[in-house]
Amino acid sequence: MTSALNPAAVERIGMSEPEWLRERRAHAWDVYERTPMPTIRLEEWRYTNLKKKLDLNSLQLSDAEAMSDDASTWPERLRAAMDEDREASGHIVIIDGHVVHADVDKQLATQGVILESLQEAITNHEELVREHLATDAVPAEEGKFAALNAALWSDGIFLYVPKGVQLELPVRVTRWLSEAGTAYFSRVLIVAEAQSQVSYVDEVLSDDFESQTYTSTAVELIAREGARVQYVAVQRLGRGAFYQSMQRTLAQRDSKLDTLNVALGASVTRVDLNARLLGPGANSDMLGLYFGDGDQHFDFNTSQDHVAEHTSSDLLYKGALDGASRAAFRGIIRVLPGAQGTDAYQTNRNLLLSPESRADSLPNLEIEADDVKCSHGATVGQLDDEAKFYLMSRGLSLIQAERLVVLGFLGEVLAKLPLGGVVDKVTRVIEQKLAQHG
Amino acid sequence: MPQNETIQDLGLDEYKYDFVSETEPVFRAEKGLSEEVVRQISAHKEEPEWMLEYRLKALDVYNSKPMPKWGGDLSSLEAVLDEIYFYVRPQEQMERSWDDVPDEIKNTFEKLGIPEAERKILAGVGAQYESEMVYHSLREEWAAQGVIFDSIEDGLKNHPELFREHFGTIIPMHDNKFAAMNAAVWSGGSFVYIPKGVSLDTPLQAYFRVNQERMGQFERTLIIIDEGAQAHYIEGCTAPVYTTESFHSGVIEIVVKKNARFRYTTIQNWSNNMYNLVTQRSMVHENATMEWLDGNLGSKLTMKYPSCYLIGEGAHGEIMSIAYAGDGQHQDTGGKVVHVAPHTTSSITSKSISKGTGRSTYRGLCKVHKGARHARSNVECDALLINDTSRTDTYPYIEIEENDASVGHEASVSKIGEEQLFYLASRGIAKDEAMAMIVRGFIEPIAKQLPLEYAVELNRLIEMEMEGSVG
Repeated sequence: MTSALNPAAVERIGMSEPEWLRERRAHAWDVYERTPMPTIRLEEWRYTNLKKKLDLNSLQLSDAEAMSDDASTWPERLRAAMDEDREASGHIVIIDGHVVHADVDKQLATQGVILESLQEAITNHEELVREHLATDAVPAEEGKFAALNAALWSDGIFLYVPKGVQLELPVRVTRWLSEAGTAYFSRVLIVAEAQSQVSYVDEVLSDDFESQTYTSTAVELIAREGARVQYVAVQRLGRGAFYQSMQRTLAQRDSKLDTLNVALGASVTRVDLNARLLGPGANSDMLGLYFGDGDQHFDFNTSQDHVAEHTSSDLLYKGALDGASRAAFRGIIRVLPGAQGTDAYQTNRNLLLSPESRADSLPNLEIEADDVKCSHGATVGQLDDEAKFYLMSRGLSLIQAERLVVLGFLGEVLAKLPLGGVVDKVTRVIEQKLAQHG
Repeated sequence: MPQNETIQDLGLDEYKYDFVSETEPVFRAEKGLSEEVVRQISAHKEEPEWMLEYRLKALDVYNSKPMPKWGGDLSSLEAVLDEIYFYVRPQEQMERSWDDVPDEIKNTFEKLGIPEAERKILAGVGAQYESEMVYHSLREEWAAQGVIFDSIEDGLKNHPELFREHFGTIIPMHDNKFAAMNAAVWSGGSFVYIPKGVSLDTPLQAYFRVNQERMGQFERTLIIIDEGAQAHYIEGCTAPVYTTESFHSGVIEIVVKKNARFRYTTIQNWSNNMYNLVTQRSMVHENATMEWLDGNLGSKLTMKYPSCYLIGEGAHGEIMSIAYAGDGQHQDTGGKVVHVAPHTTSSITSKSISKGTGRSTYRGLCKVHKGARHARSNVECDALLINDTSRTDTYPYIEIEENDASVGHEASVSKIGEEQLFYLASRGIAKDEAMAMIVRGFIEPIAKQLPLEYAVELNRLIEMEMEGSVG
């Protein structure tokens, strides 16, 4: 409990909410209180020392009024990020925790597609939200931070795609944070019914913060039979930010539920991603990309749980680290008893660009079925001299050659999920970061 | 002799080490671990005062450390330890001549084939029975060149300075709970010194036998390979099968000095009621090479991660391991390579087979410290699963603080393919035989590194274990 994060705050946030939700928040706060703060003695937190990295006592909750739904009043960088890719099935804009704008293609709306703020969804689609919010995917019981989020979330996104409806263009969410020293809690809930199809891109931006600013998001993704879901998170926060995202994907029979986490900004990034393959034929591709410089710290904690037979998953996380930045990857493939016919792969590759950078990798396997194909690989290394030499022999300078090799290295991840706009945007940001290298 | 007969002679139709010898120990401490027991051990060994103090301090460290929560299931270990005899002295003194070893003990080792092996190929042989080395011998020619191959107790008595310079420096008592336990109650094990430039062309071998029920064995081995020297040390471990659990916790400290080369081979075939928790570590100096060849076939639970600290420029470390986990067994093994100096290289190759309800776990660390420029390391783990109740895990830790390093890890898990079996069946090979063939092929890259008699034994064991593994 702190002066800002306490039962009174939980009560205040839930004041006008239905009884069931207030109870859920109160329960989550109980779990939070009961659960000890993770330390580096826990395998999951081995590489991020919260004592040093996060000071919950210093954080306030946001008291900003919601901005108007008038784009001309929004921060310039947020608008620029939106302008880079206008094409979308719908938009949501979140500024300092408030959803200030939501739109969805009219034709899709008539087909029953719902894209709105979570707060509105509680009123408009109470039963759907009640069924899925913090129940199956990221309940409070997941851990200390999942509980804190479930108690204190202020708003979020609800996306519902009815049976058989296919969205041609992605749904785009753009977030902006501006209050230094604030803790933001939000949630994303996506339910894709049978045979539906949807892509979702969630981008978060800010300037640098003078004091630590914390953002926590719980992401719940549900793909029913034969549905196809792509989830992309692009994190471009300024220094001083502690970005935490807790994600779980539930893939039912024959569904395909893919994720891409791009982490470029923030001082600390912590992503927990658990993919559950629950029905035969389910498949998840899990992609990750990070580029660190300065004293940035990245920590990815992933798991691939093969619960049903004949499921497959393929994970590829790649990162380049410059300056004194540091990345940790801890991934686990679990094949549960009876999950025969599993194909599961996991690869983490790190490129160290400077003498002070550091990478830790811990790819794990726990296999309890025998008819499986599983493998994992991890590498840490420096730029390939031969590739550099080749490019230089073609007239490129050393710095140009290095940039090209890094882009090629990271490009492999983007090539696997070629979502319009995202590839260009991420490539541009990496190029900006690379321009400072060397 | 035709090869078939050789295999038959090994008689591995059952766990062939399951026999009990009727020996009366000359002294047995009270069961359980206490200060009294530690004092008795030290008194029996007529140790200098500093060693008694060291042991007592280690006992405090042991008591202050919690049971590890990772690795295998140690939840019932504390109860087991209360019932175990930490020190059993089988005879009054260690013998140098095989003829002087008491008959019952001699017969035990004769059944294990030791004197014969010694005559054939070995540079030296040591044998530990319960808590003490009962026999140690070294060929004249090597002794004449200054090679020391002795019990650890005689190492302390006869070479106090060399002993004290290294003892407990590679694995300090604080390292882990079981290293602390060993430091308190160690008894038996080898003391080896290979002088500068001396190359042993045949291996030194030590046999470890636990005979009595509810016995704890805590051997302590210290090996110093001086500059430019070369040697190979082999240890083998067996025990009878009892219904109660036994306990073995060794500490093996190794120093490989500049330009030296050393290989340490373990064939662990403890009975399936043995907890086997061992700490093995080597310090590898400039341009030296350390190789661990680790075979874990027996025990109920083994937790053992041989390690190489590459502290001199150009040092090389290699760990090759085979684990076999049958019904009820858990092999939690692997290796650690820690790169401290520049231009150091290492490789870990691990192969495991899990059958029935067996579980094999690879747990390893590859660490490159800041300043270990141009370090190179490669880790490869392959696991084979025989039944749908078998389990395998892989936990490789990779921690890199130096950008000028190159580290790779790969692991794969598979079962024996239907196509492979079908192909062999089409060639007229029965399914059991085909399974054994495939498994032999799987472990071959490591098995071929073993001394011949162990390679043959391993293959025979695999063959036997594969019988009836397919319906």
